[in-house]
This record gives sequence, C-alpha cells and structure tokens, in this order.
Amino acid sequence: MALNRSHTATLTRNELWEVEAATEPYEAGWAHEAIFFVRALEVRGDMRGASAQVQISPDGIHWVDEGTVCELPQAAGGIGFARVARFGGYLRLRASLPAGATLRVVAALTLKE
Amino acid sequence: MANTAYRADPRLSRFDPLERIVYFDDFDEGYNGWLGLIGNYEGSLDSMLPGYQQLMQPMLSNVTHWDTGSHGAFDGTYCLKTATRPIKGQQNVTIKRITFRQLGRIQFECYFCFKPEANQMALSELDVRSVGVIFDLQHGECGPQRVMPHLRYLNALDGMAQHKWQYKHRRQPFHDIGGSGKTVSHYHLAPEGWEDVPGGAQQLCYNEVPTKINWHYLKVGFDLKTMAYTELRCNDRVFDVSTMLPMAMPAMANLWCMLNVCLLVETDTDKRAFFYVDSALLSGEF
Repeated sequence: MALNRSHTATLTRNELWEVEAATEPYEAGWAHEAIFFVRALEVRGDMRGASAQVQISPDGIHWVDEGTVCELPQAAGGIGFARVARFGGYLRLRASLPAGATLRVVAALTLKE
Repeated sequence: MANTAYRADPRLSRFDPLERIVYFDDFDEGYNGWLGLIGNYEGSLDSMLPGYQQLMQPMLSNVTHWDTGSHGAFDGTYCLKTATRPIKGQQNVTIKRITFRQLGRIQFECYFCFKPEANQMALSELDVRSVGVIFDLQHGECGPQRVMPHLRYLNALDGMAQHKWQYKHRRQPFHDIGGSGKTVSHYHLAPEGWEDVPGGAQQLCYNEVPTKINWHYLKVGFDLKTMAYTELRCNDRVFDVSTMLPMAMPAMANLWCMLNVCLLVETDTDKRAFFYVDSALLSGEF
C-alpha cells in the first residue's frame, strides 16, 4: 500500500517581518492541502491589526489573495496558522504589520496529498 | 562482467551507473530525501554564519510559466527546483545526506537545467550566475580527512558571459559557533577561490526565451580511496580532472563515512535563479 505523501518546508527562518513582507514563492501543485504555520521568535511593538493573507499565483510572478487569512502571533512563542486547499500550483504568505511593529518568524508550509 | 540490467528500465537507461546503484531519485515520486542545506547553529539561529541565513528549501516543480503553462520534467510531471532569492549574488543549496559503506569510486549523475525567473520579456541568458554540484565526504583511513569537492558551471559573472566549469579547493576559515566548543562552521560557498577546470569552456543549450528549457546530462566521478576526481562530463564534453584538487580539511568529530551531495545555484542579477533536476543517480564500486 502506498501511503500519501506529505512534506513540510520551512519557508522563512529567523527573518524579520515589518510593514509588508512575503514568503518566497513555493510550488506545491502535487499537494491537495496545505497549512501555513507562523511561529514568533520575537515580537516588538503593537501587533494589533497585524495579519497575513494566503496568496496564490498562476505563474509564481503574479499574485492574488486566496481569501484565507492567517492570524499572526501576538507574542514570542505564539503560533498562527492558516489552512488552504484547491490552491493550484504556487503559494505564498503576504504579511501586513502596523507601523513600528516587528515580528521575527519561523514560517513553515505543511503539504499533504 | 558489466552490469547492464538497468538498461531494461527506460528511466535508468539514460544513465551510466557504476556497478551498484546507491540511489536513483526520480522527483516525480517525491523529494526522496533532498532538502535545503542549513548552517550550523547553537543556542540561537543568530549564531549561524551570515551566508547560511539565505538558504531555503527546494520544491517539486512542474516548471510552470506565464506564457505557456507547465513545461513538465524530462519525464513525468515534477522535478526538483532549487531557487535563490531575487537579489544579485544570492545562493541556495539543496542536499541529500547518506553515508558510504566502503571506500571506492562513486559517481553522481543527473539531468538538469537552469533558468532565471521569467519576469521580463528578455532573453535573460546572463541572469543565472552558476549551478553546481558539491560532495561532502569524510573518511577515517590513511589520515582522517573531510573532503569537499566543489564544482560549478559558471554561466555569467557581473553580467559577462563565462560559460565554463570551475572547481574550488581553497578553504574558508572556521569559526566557533555558540559557546560549547563543540560546533564550528565555515562558509565553503563563499564566492572566492573558484578556479577554472582545465579546458573547461562549454556552451550549453539555454534556448531562446527564458521559458524554454532543455535538459542536460551531468556526471561527476570521485574516488573515496584516493579522494580524487575521476570524471567530469556534461553532455558531449569530458573534462580533464587529473590536476584538480578537492577542498580538504582535518576530519571533524561527528561526520564519519559521510557522503553528502549538494546542488548549488547562484543568481547574477536581482532575479530568482532556478536550478531544476529531473532525476539523480548515485552509484558506486563496492
């Protein structure tokens, strides 16, 4: 019996997000479902109003909001996540933070057939 | 008697393995244990050497472009894609980690191509700086050593066409990582120290727009007994490796019998560079 494949790719590691930030494009056309995880290593400033949009793309160059929102952690050690399915081929997460707020993150994408 | 049974399998018959196949990774089947290289760290990720901070994970790609759609792989749908960030000089490395059973000849083969991100309607043939293959090896006999053969195809440098193979044997300094005294790191991917492979000029098939890709064959041979190159072949060209030295250093505490293979990509412009590998085969004489 062949088991369904799964894979977790760490998209950002120790990167500092401020104002507008996005993960690098990731191809996942083989997967049926995905979860973005965002774990805060460090939070500075007032994070109220911070969030991230899951984005999809036909070509890895042009991006559009998929509609799923990922709540971002408000304190160090916190984890936000967003589940998506039927996303086509390319995925990324685009974050918006209030002025003065910074978030140091480990972001991961967990994929399953 | 030569082992030619593999030729009955169409996916294998385009390779020239040594006596035993250690692994044959077709990326239609998954990642097969290939993942992003990570620098050493201890206590905090901030302890990682700066060059390693840029490295990211590979992905399974069906090579989809805005103008034509999915190019697909050499066979099937997916290949392994190693991508840089869109900043000139950025690098990325994908690695597979195993150990060897016996000292002897090994050989890495793959079908590969490289392209820049197709975000301009321009030929863009000088946007990818290089793609390469690195072994990371350690043996304990006849003077324990860690040996790291580095090879790359230098496509362009600072906007100038280069089109040649290079190797690197000069080392970078080691740095202590963290405070325990157990962890060190060296940035062997530093841009300095590359030397030209003798007679190593080669033109590859870039094609005529950034979204047309052609697969190329690469073979790298190395002898674990002598820790010397035995072969470098790309498509129709076989290069003289007899004077090429690998990077070598004293053996390290926890790397015995290590047999890692790395795939390197570097961008020469503020544009992502993509290194695609359809399939990879490691074979050996043992």
